[in-house]
Amino acid sequence: MANDELTTKQVSIPETAPPKTSIGVLGWLKENLFSSWINTILTVVFGTIVYLIVVNTIEWIFFKAEWYVISANFKLLMVGQYPVEELFRVWIAFTLISLLMGLSWGIWKGTMGHLTIAMTAIYIIVASLPFVLIETRIWLLVNIALIIATYFLGKRLTKFKKYILIGWFLMFPVTMILLSGFGVFDRVGTNLWGGFLLTLLIAIVAIVFSFPLGVLLALGRRSKLPVVKWFCVAYIELIRGVPLITILFVAQLMLPMFLGEGVNIDNVIRAMVGFTLFSAAYLAENIRGGLQSIPRGQFEAAEALGLNATFKTVFIILPQSLRAVIPAMVGQFIGIFKDTSLVAIVGLTDLLGMGKNIISNPEFLGTQMEVFLFVALVFLVFCNMMSYASRRLEGALGVGTR
Amino acid sequence: MFEEFNSETPLDQREDIVVCNNINKWFGSLHVLKDVNLTVKQGEVVCILGPSGSGKSTFIRTVNGLEEIQKGEITVDGIPLSNDLSDIEAIRKETGMVFQSFNLFPHMTILKNITLAPIWVRKWPKAKAEKIAMELLERVGIPEQADKYPGQLSGGQQQRVAIARALAMQPKILLFDEPTSALDPEMIKEVLDVIKTLAGSGITMMVVTHEMNFAREVADRIVLFDFGEIIEVGSPSELFDNPKHDRTKLFLSQIL
Repeated sequence: MANDELTTKQVSIPETAPPKTSIGVLGWLKENLFSSWINTILTVVFGTIVYLIVVNTIEWIFFKAEWYVISANFKLLMVGQYPVEELFRVWIAFTLISLLMGLSWGIWKGTMGHLTIAMTAIYIIVASLPFVLIETRIWLLVNIALIIATYFLGKRLTKFKKYILIGWFLMFPVTMILLSGFGVFDRVGTNLWGGFLLTLLIAIVAIVFSFPLGVLLALGRRSKLPVVKWFCVAYIELIRGVPLITILFVAQLMLPMFLGEGVNIDNVIRAMVGFTLFSAAYLAENIRGGLQSIPRGQFEAAEALGLNATFKTVFIILPQSLRAVIPAMVGQFIGIFKDTSLVAIVGLTDLLGMGKNIISNPEFLGTQMEVFLFVALVFLVFCNMMSYASRRLEGALGVGTR
Repeated sequence: MFEEFNSETPLDQREDIVVCNNINKWFGSLHVLKDVNLTVKQGEVVCILGPSGSGKSTFIRTVNGLEEIQKGEITVDGIPLSNDLSDIEAIRKETGMVFQSFNLFPHMTILKNITLAPIWVRKWPKAKAEKIAMELLERVGIPEQADKYPGQLSGGQQQRVAIARALAMQPKILLFDEPTSALDPEMIKEVLDVIKTLAGSGITMMVVTHEMNFAREVADRIVLFDFGEIIEVGSPSELFDNPKHDRTKLFLSQIL
C-alpha cells in the first residue's frame, strides 16, 4: 500500500526539463572537456596542438606540397619500367579482373559488391586526376562501364557461380602470361616489372601459394607419421627463426651459388618463392591453432560415422579450423602485403623501391614527403580493403555458430 | 527397415552380433576394463548401468574402435576389430553412435549433418540421401528444422538430430553413450521416447544410461558395471527385483 502511495506521489510531480548545462552540446562539453580545471587546461593545450597540426597539414597538402613529383612519375610508381608500348597487356589483365569483379558483384552482392564499388571509386578517382594520360583515362572509363554492365549481367547469371570461381582461379596464370609474354606476345623480362604492379604480384603469389602450403604444413605437424611430423616442425621452426630479410637475401644471393652456374632463376620469381615459403610457415602456425581449437567430439563423431581420414579432415576439421583463424590469417596476409616493400633492399623496384629511386633523382630533390605519403596512402587503401573483406567473410561464415 | 531376421525368434536362438571376449584396457597404469565378456544378439537391446567412473562409457566406445583395447577380442557383425583401419572403418559403417554431447557438426545444416556420411561413405546419390534424411527427421519429429544449423536448436532437438544422423547410415547396431546426460530434465523425455520407438524396430542397441525406468522398460538385458568389470547381467526384472550381487544391491539402493 505504502508503495502505491509512493508511486502516485512521484507521478504527481510534473516533469521538468533537466538543467541546460547537463544536456546537449553544452552538457557534453562540460562533462567531457571542462569537468575540472586540470581537464580544462588539457583541453586547451591539446586543442591548440591538434589545431596546429590540422591547419599545417592542410596547408602543406594543398599549397606547399610539390605533387607534380607524383604526376610526373605516376606511370613509374604504378608499373615501373614496363614498356609503354606493351602497357595494353597490363590493361587487358585489369579489364579481365574488372569483368570478373562486375559479374561477382551481380551474383554475390554483399561484400563482393562493396569491394567492387571501392575499386570502381578508385578507378574514378584515378581517372579524374588531372595528370593521367588520355589513354589511361579511356581504359579506366572502359573498365568502369564494364563493371556496371557486368553487374547487371551477373544479376541474371546466378546459376554460373562455379564458372566465375574457376575464372578467378584462371585469372592468375592468365595475368602472368599476359604480363611476361610466354611466346604469345613479346617477352617482357621481370626485371622491367616494377612499382605497384610488382608489389601486387608478389603479394598475390605469396598469398595464393602459401595458403595451401600452410594448410599442408599445419596438418603435417599433427601427423602421426614421425618423418612427416618432424620435417614440418623443422621447416616451420627454421623459417620462423630467421628474419624475412635474411630469407630474401638467401633467395637472391645464395641460391644462385647453391644451384651452380647455368641454372638461372629469375629475380622476381626468387623473391616470390622467398615470400611464399616465409608466409607458409607463419600460416601453418595460425592454422594449427585453429586445428587445436576443434573439440575431440568432432573427430569422434566423424570417425563413428565411418568417414576416413581425408573426408574427416576436408569436411569436418578444416572448415571449422579455418573459420576460427580467419582474422589471424588475414592479419598474416596484410603483413605479407606490406612486407613486399622489403624487396627494395634486394634490388627490386616495387612501389616503395620506385619511390626511393624517384627521390634520388636530382630533378625531384626534396620531395620525400610527397612520395612516401603517396606510397603510404596506396598501402593504406588496399590493406583496409583486405581487412574489411575479412570482417565481412567472418560474419558471413559465422552463420549458426555455437 | 532394419528387419533382417525374424524378430519372433527367441533371443537365445538368434545370431551373435557383438562378441566381446576378455577385453582389457588400461589408461596409463589405471586398469579401466578388466576381463569384460559380453555377447549381444541381433535385435537385442542391452542397457549398461553402473556408477560414474565404472568404465561403462569406455566399454561402449571400444565396440566401434574409438578406444583401443590392449588385450582381448571384439567381433562386430562378424568382423574382428583389429588395428587395421579398413576393419575399423568397416565396423563403423555398421555401427551408429550417439554421444552425450551430441557432437553435431556446427558448420553444417541439419540436413547436411545427416546426409554427409551416406553420400561420402555409402556413396548414395544426393537425392536418395536427402530423401532418407527427411524421413528420419520425420521419425524423430523435427522435419521443419532441416535447414537450420545445430546452434539454433535446443539440446533435445540436437540429440534427436544426432540419432537421425546415426540412423542415416542404416547401421545394424546403435551405440548410445549416455544420450540424455547433457539434457535439461524437460528434454530428456522427448529423446527417450525416440529411443523407445527404435527399440521396437528390431535394431540392435547398446545403451549406457542413468535412466533406470527407461532401462527397465526397453532393455532385454541389463548389464551392471563397477570398477571396470561386469558385476551382474540379467533381465530387467531379475536385476531390479531380485539382485544377486551385493554391489548391485548397493548401487540400486543408492539410485532408487
